Amino acid sequence: MKKIICIAIAAILYFAVNAQDYNKTAIDSMSAVPEKKEYSNTGFLLSGYTNASFISEGKNNSFGDVGFSPIFLWRPANHFFFEGELEMEFEDGQLHFNLEYANINCVLNKYVTFRFGRFLTPFGTFQPSYHPSWINKIPVSPLGFGHDGVGPSSEIGVDLTGGIPIGSSKINYNVYVSNGPTLNLGEEEPGEEGNLMYENYADNNRNKAIGGRIGLLPFLNSCIELGISVQSAKPGDEGSDYEKISTFMYAYDFNCIKQIEFLKGTVDAKAQWNFVNVDNAVYPDHDDTTGIATYSYNNKRDVYYAQFAYRPTMSKNDVIKNFEGVVRYSSLNLPEEAKENKDLTQLIFGLNYWATWRTVVKAAYQPDKDTPRFWLQLAMGF
Amino acid sequence: MKKIIIILTIIIGIVIVSVMMNGCASAKLVDKVGAELWSENCVRCHSIPAPNAFTREQWETISMHMHVRAGLTDDETKKITEFIQSATN
Repeated sequence: MKKIICIAIAAILYFAVNAQDYNKTAIDSMSAVPEKKEYSNTGFLLSGYTNASFISEGKNNSFGDVGFSPIFLWRPANHFFFEGELEMEFEDGQLHFNLEYANINCVLNKYVTFRFGRFLTPFGTFQPSYHPSWINKIPVSPLGFGHDGVGPSSEIGVDLTGGIPIGSSKINYNVYVSNGPTLNLGEEEPGEEGNLMYENYADNNRNKAIGGRIGLLPFLNSCIELGISVQSAKPGDEGSDYEKISTFMYAYDFNCIKQIEFLKGTVDAKAQWNFVNVDNAVYPDHDDTTGIATYSYNNKRDVYYAQFAYRPTMSKNDVIKNFEGVVRYSSLNLPEEAKENKDLTQLIFGLNYWATWRTVVKAAYQPDKDTPRFWLQLAMGF
Repeated sequence: MKKIIIILTIIIGIVIVSVMMNGCASAKLVDKVGAELWSENCVRCHSIPAPNAFTREQWETISMHMHVRAGLTDDETKKITEFIQSATN
């Protein structure tokens, strides 16, 4: 049934693409762009972002959370493109090194680009679009979003992606096949039985995850985007008792950004809600010293965040117009019967100052009666 | 099962609504000029970049990156690239 859904989504996209062919002549005549010259070099660009933070948590405070993420872009020909990002973070006294993504892209036609390699999962919009520190308006990610969150963050596989104009609207889409997640049996981390692990460089079974996202921008000025993402996979090891366990994930995302005259500024509202459902399974109880006991639970979890920001971009004062106020609420809801079952919520208030279009100073405060937190972060894109 | 039906319904719904809006709309996305598309699309994720932050050739590479990452249409990508290159010193 889940695969049928994916096929149905693919079919809808197929018809949407073909529907555009009827308008192909008109579109071609209106987008009369001269042929591009062939490149004499590799079209190389070193881009990326960096950040450094000061963190105060309860009675402790420290400089830390230093990150450096160079992005390598090559465009050796008009239709071929490579993007790769290395992620280096100095955290808890250790340097963490990660290949965030590395993929080769081939533009097949106006509506379809093929990419192959490791790519950020088009599951919602936070991870693929908003997580870089110079874009994220709060110094930390929302609860449950990121590499060990509820929902995938990166895939190794193939992806078809593109954008399609439909009159005054447009849609963007992704359809991908990847290694997919692995089911955590708590062998290394007792209590995490039933969690999904998404960082899989090699597949643990012959099944491949199928997923995609479709985003609709209904208005001519692209100020609102509504998106739905799905992924279906079998996360159990080949030949194990968990081989037939399935997982189905889906997410809704929303983005609205608009300069409003009477508010003398720009409002930016973002939200995403992820759902991860795993078939019921019997897991070993690592707390039992005899090694015999098992347990099972209804393995459904979800996480969401909602963020609102305002920046007085229409102010005549050059200093005030660069300030931005942000508030974000996020909530992580885990299965009640699971051993790791603590539901969490997080409310953060932030004030940012945009020194340039890609350099921002962020101050954020999380009120908490036990452990209030304060962050000061400088982030810069380059 | 109910959720699956709901998701399918929503997907089909937004496609139908989109097509209906298409029929009613007088203005079309393909009529927009590069300057408009540049200001409306970049800001969906990040601040609007300064044209002189990169060279004309670098903008070609960045445009392709954004074509994939932001789901820009082919027409939008070409118009934005042309506009920002024309504004680059």
